[in-house]
Amino acid sequence: MSNNEMKKKSGVKQLPKIENPEQFFNLPRTEEGQKEAKKSKYWRSLEVLNNPESKEVLDAKKVEFPFGEDQAINLDSMSSVNRRKFLALMTASGVFATTACTDYQDKGKIINYTTKPESVQPGVANYYASTLNITGNSWGILIKTREGRPIKLEGNPEHPVNQGKISNLAHSTIVNLYDPSRLKAPQIKGKKGLKLVPFEKTTWEDADKAIVKALNDAVNSGKEIAILSEQVLSPSYASLLNDFIAKYPTAKVYGFNTFNNDVKNAAWQETYNTTDLFPSIQLDKADVILSLENDFLGVDGDTIENTRMFVSRKDINNVYGFNKMYCVEGAMTLTGAKADYRFRLSPEMQFEFVAGLINEVIKKGALTADSSAFSSYSLDKFIKVNGFHAQKIGYLVDDLIKSKGKSIVLGGRHLPKATHIAINYLNHILGNTELYRQDSIPVSYGEFSKNGDFTNLVKDMNAGKVGVLINIDTNPVFNMPADLNFADAIQKVNTVVTLSEQENESTGYSTYLLPTNHTLESWGDAHARSNVMSLQQPVISPLYDTREKEAMLLTWINGGSEYSFDIYYNYVANKWKNDIYPKFNSAVNFETFWNNTLHDGVVTMKSSTEAIYEFNTSSLSGLKPTKKENYTVVFTESPTIGDGKYANNGFLQETPHPITKVTWDNTANISINTARKLDLKFQDMLELNLNGKTIKLPVVVQPGMADDLVQIDLGYGRTAAGDVGNEVGFDVNQFMTSNGISPWIFTGAKVSKAEGTYKIASTQEHHQMDELVGEAILGDKAYKISEFHIDRHIIQETELDTYKKDNDVIARHKHATKSIMANHEYTGIKWAMAIDMNKCTGCNACITSCNVESNIPVVGKEEVLHGREMQWMRMDRYYSGDENNPKVSIQPMMCQHCDNAPCENVCPVVATTHSPDGINQMVYNRCVGTRYCANNCPYKVRRFNFYDFRDNLAKGYYYAQSMQQMYNPEVTIRSRGVMEKCDFCTSRIADAKSNATKDGREFKGSDVVTACQESCPANAIYFGDSNDPNSEVSKLRKHDLGYHVLEILDVKPNVTYIAKLNNVIPEIDNSEGHNSAH
Amino acid sequence: MNKRALDYALKIRLPITVVVILCSFALTFYVSRPERDGLGYQPEQPINYSHKLHAGEMNIDCQYCHTGVEKTRHAMVPPAETCMNCHKVVKTDSPEIKKLREYWEKGEPIPWKRIHKVPDYAYFNHSVHVNKGIDCAHCHGDVRKMDKVEQVHSFTMGNCLDCHRNAHERMPEIAENINKGPENCNACHR
Repeated sequence: MSNNEMKKKSGVKQLPKIENPEQFFNLPRTEEGQKEAKKSKYWRSLEVLNNPESKEVLDAKKVEFPFGEDQAINLDSMSSVNRRKFLALMTASGVFATTACTDYQDKGKIINYTTKPESVQPGVANYYASTLNITGNSWGILIKTREGRPIKLEGNPEHPVNQGKISNLAHSTIVNLYDPSRLKAPQIKGKKGLKLVPFEKTTWEDADKAIVKALNDAVNSGKEIAILSEQVLSPSYASLLNDFIAKYPTAKVYGFNTFNNDVKNAAWQETYNTTDLFPSIQLDKADVILSLENDFLGVDGDTIENTRMFVSRKDINNVYGFNKMYCVEGAMTLTGAKADYRFRLSPEMQFEFVAGLINEVIKKGALTADSSAFSSYSLDKFIKVNGFHAQKIGYLVDDLIKSKGKSIVLGGRHLPKATHIAINYLNHILGNTELYRQDSIPVSYGEFSKNGDFTNLVKDMNAGKVGVLINIDTNPVFNMPADLNFADAIQKVNTVVTLSEQENESTGYSTYLLPTNHTLESWGDAHARSNVMSLQQPVISPLYDTREKEAMLLTWINGGSEYSFDIYYNYVANKWKNDIYPKFNSAVNFETFWNNTLHDGVVTMKSSTEAIYEFNTSSLSGLKPTKKENYTVVFTESPTIGDGKYANNGFLQETPHPITKVTWDNTANISINTARKLDLKFQDMLELNLNGKTIKLPVVVQPGMADDLVQIDLGYGRTAAGDVGNEVGFDVNQFMTSNGISPWIFTGAKVSKAEGTYKIASTQEHHQMDELVGEAILGDKAYKISEFHIDRHIIQETELDTYKKDNDVIARHKHATKSIMANHEYTGIKWAMAIDMNKCTGCNACITSCNVESNIPVVGKEEVLHGREMQWMRMDRYYSGDENNPKVSIQPMMCQHCDNAPCENVCPVVATTHSPDGINQMVYNRCVGTRYCANNCPYKVRRFNFYDFRDNLAKGYYYAQSMQQMYNPEVTIRSRGVMEKCDFCTSRIADAKSNATKDGREFKGSDVVTACQESCPANAIYFGDSNDPNSEVSKLRKHDLGYHVLEILDVKPNVTYIAKLNNVIPEIDNSEGHNSAH
Repeated sequence: MNKRALDYALKIRLPITVVVILCSFALTFYVSRPERDGLGYQPEQPINYSHKLHAGEMNIDCQYCHTGVEKTRHAMVPPAETCMNCHKVVKTDSPEIKKLREYWEKGEPIPWKRIHKVPDYAYFNHSVHVNKGIDCAHCHGDVRKMDKVEQVHSFTMGNCLDCHRNAHERMPEIAENINKGPENCNACHR
């Protein structure tokens, strides 16, 4: 009986026998080859690593949408239809029906301008340069407006700090402008007893009058006027605050940012006896970087500038210029994920490590430096106790010594002061002061630029010494350390004036609740660096009855009756004319200077102050390590929603956390060992007890965490954020007290397992590309298909040194595939993309940029749990190697626009086809929603509209009228029942093409920039014409590091990935079970 | 009902009724096709503006008013300001101009009735076509001769593709300068 007959009889599903499998699959056949292949297995989650054949894992891989397809429709998530609305709709449709009968040809009216503004051309976007002050950074932005409506933010390429790029948070601030729950008119606290109406509407005039009276009363009775404001970056705002103090002498300004550089700055000022702030660093000049808890690619400092400088030394065309990054951290961060060598260390132990390192470096490098302050610390002992790999630490020490003056040690802003001083000293003795920038340092407005003394403020408030509290766009009740009891204190203040865009936990305590303009509706300026000043201009008149916060202060300075809409504009212009313009020694007159600055958004001056770094050795005395007790807890800034201010922004809530992949929640992240010790697993509840307070949190077992450490993101658990952000995640601000190691690190916590489980919407196992089901026979051996996964080469990487010796190390594994069909000839432009994984840090900016550009809906936690997130791009995060401290490989994944696209063949209505320029087109108006294409897509990048998602979240929150103004008019809004996916920004291509036709020039691949490419802070994404031999893309396609994901399937994808080169030494890594390319 | 009557109804009446209904539906469908496509649609406009007078007899260029046509995908109906460029002085006592003046002074948009429309999911681009030298009349008919504008060509996908596929035959006057139009989906739908 032949093989075939046997199969027929037994009915077992088996793949046909393949005679010569090596050629076909390039499968490693030798024993060693098999071993090698096993070793290089990549995994996405611990479940996949440990129980690859468990039901859950197989289900997640088998079915794209695991459950819930037959679930009932949740009426609560839709916009409500009440009786009146129903009657109105019925009447309206009746009227429409009757009128339509009279003239069914009617096509409506054309509403034209009466007088067309000169600069507006319907159908053409205008860009305005402005400034965005966000997360403690000041970035230049370009605001894209269509017919007067801002629809997208981009970085301003001329701004020297961010150079055309902004973070994912900055991208999504556009949503806040159109947020339906913005405050729309001034309000006054309702009369007592009226619980249902906490606030009543009032007029600006009445409010102004009453507030000025309260301010004068406070001054006359000698009571304090406390102003709470975010830390100040703007020169005009700073001078306005000074004017305010001059007018009302009892006023005092308290800066407040939940996450700030205050500790780092204080350490810097003590180390060098200066009043300057911690300088910015020339990361692009650093050959060796040692990051100690410093997530400089994720949330710490100016991440955009850091990323650009850091990846400029990851240029595959200059492999001899690669930098090397060591990272020692407790929680797994984006920086740790990008590091060449990563060590796990609980943050409170950092001091001992640095001290030991200082000793070792002085000893080994024979440096002439005083090590007496650190003589009692030994690095050898430390690495033994903490289980560090001695050889790797040896490399670190050697590298630091070898690259004296060209290396940098970075400390995370949340570390305690002593550690920062020690780090400054280490940099000092290594001569790394060379890398501190002197021409461009952060600017301080003294007390306004750091957090105020809140302990005293609260004491005064409780004692009734504060007459008026003006809260400018901060949320102290939610964000301030819990032991201050701000909520109690604020009730003891007679007049609380809150200036805010939206309601929050603090607004409820106000006497006057005054709505402020959004950034895009306001004038302003910023002093990003000593040599960079920028202007902020409004691009739309206020949507509601709101005012600029500065304009309100100005009005009160002027006595309360002199408001006009341009009052703050005049103030800024005067400030620039009198104070700032003279500093520039400009050759042109002020009007020209002002207009030029407004046009460019930014102006720079030459400044190079040779700073002399004289180390204040007395700062070294008395430095003490911190001791660990029980568990340590570290509270971190969420890379997606920041400190909670933007919690009501669905775009941000739904962006998966870059490492844990969790959406719509914060979790307690613990290490694998800790989880074993406490018998916890993913989605279990953990009870955290710190300083007598307890909370139950869901657990994420995060590979790479230090043991006995709990990491929790702040900013979640808001109760008054709005319909989207309320009750999302857990509020851990109650643990933020003043008795920690630093404001963000606490030790002595007790952690135990709690009852119950919790559903975490993690996208970790969604859209997996490797299959684990079934068997295949190759040659004479049966393989589990799981072993093919090894061969799929989804992630390819190698060591830098291996590549230097052997340029073919990746290219060798290219698969020769044969097609039964003739290949289509592409003449003319053929679009293609390339992504350089050496540069990509996984920061998510591209995802958010794509969301805004392509009108992608927010689906909500419930739907993410069903695997229905709609983002066209996703970041696949793979682990490999040691499960306790794995290597992380991040891969952006979107439609690959395959030449032989499997999705196209199966569409019964030809709604997805191929264009002559190589784009896999998706025609929404043709799609009937069979989902065959998604089923057949090997990359799992197609997204289906199971609902009209805009009307399926928080009572149709994003269905509101105001939100409609945000949509990009060049991209169709997809409704229920339609498939969608990345379209290579086809609207941008059409736009560029029509511009070329208009200008009568030939259309070139370089004319198009996609949204993800435009926003990538690392410039890792390339897009262009692969038929043009001179284009960047076609060069990368042919590069010996270029590879295509799943090319074995012969789908001929058009996205090339550039294999990552890890700057590690191959031998020791192999001994650790590390992956090499195969 | 007796058996024969039922038999008659089922065997004769029902088929005849069905055939009549189907035939009349098919007939109406095909006969009314041009009308449903908007052919001959000629609505009353709020101001009795004559293209024949302005574009025909006085030979004012289309783009004097429809300024967007070579810059963007929208041709743009001119703002009232454009009319007032001349009509502040010209024929100020005509009743139609008085209407215009009223809109202008009130700052209200003139509620022109829309005649030509492609569906929302098609992104037609005027500038590409006009900049290639295609005459407006190819789609809009000879507006220069219309007192009151009406639709003369149907704006269906079939009509677009007919020209895109046979560009050289349809527009012999510019045949040397043009290629065939794109036929892929993304050219119009995105």
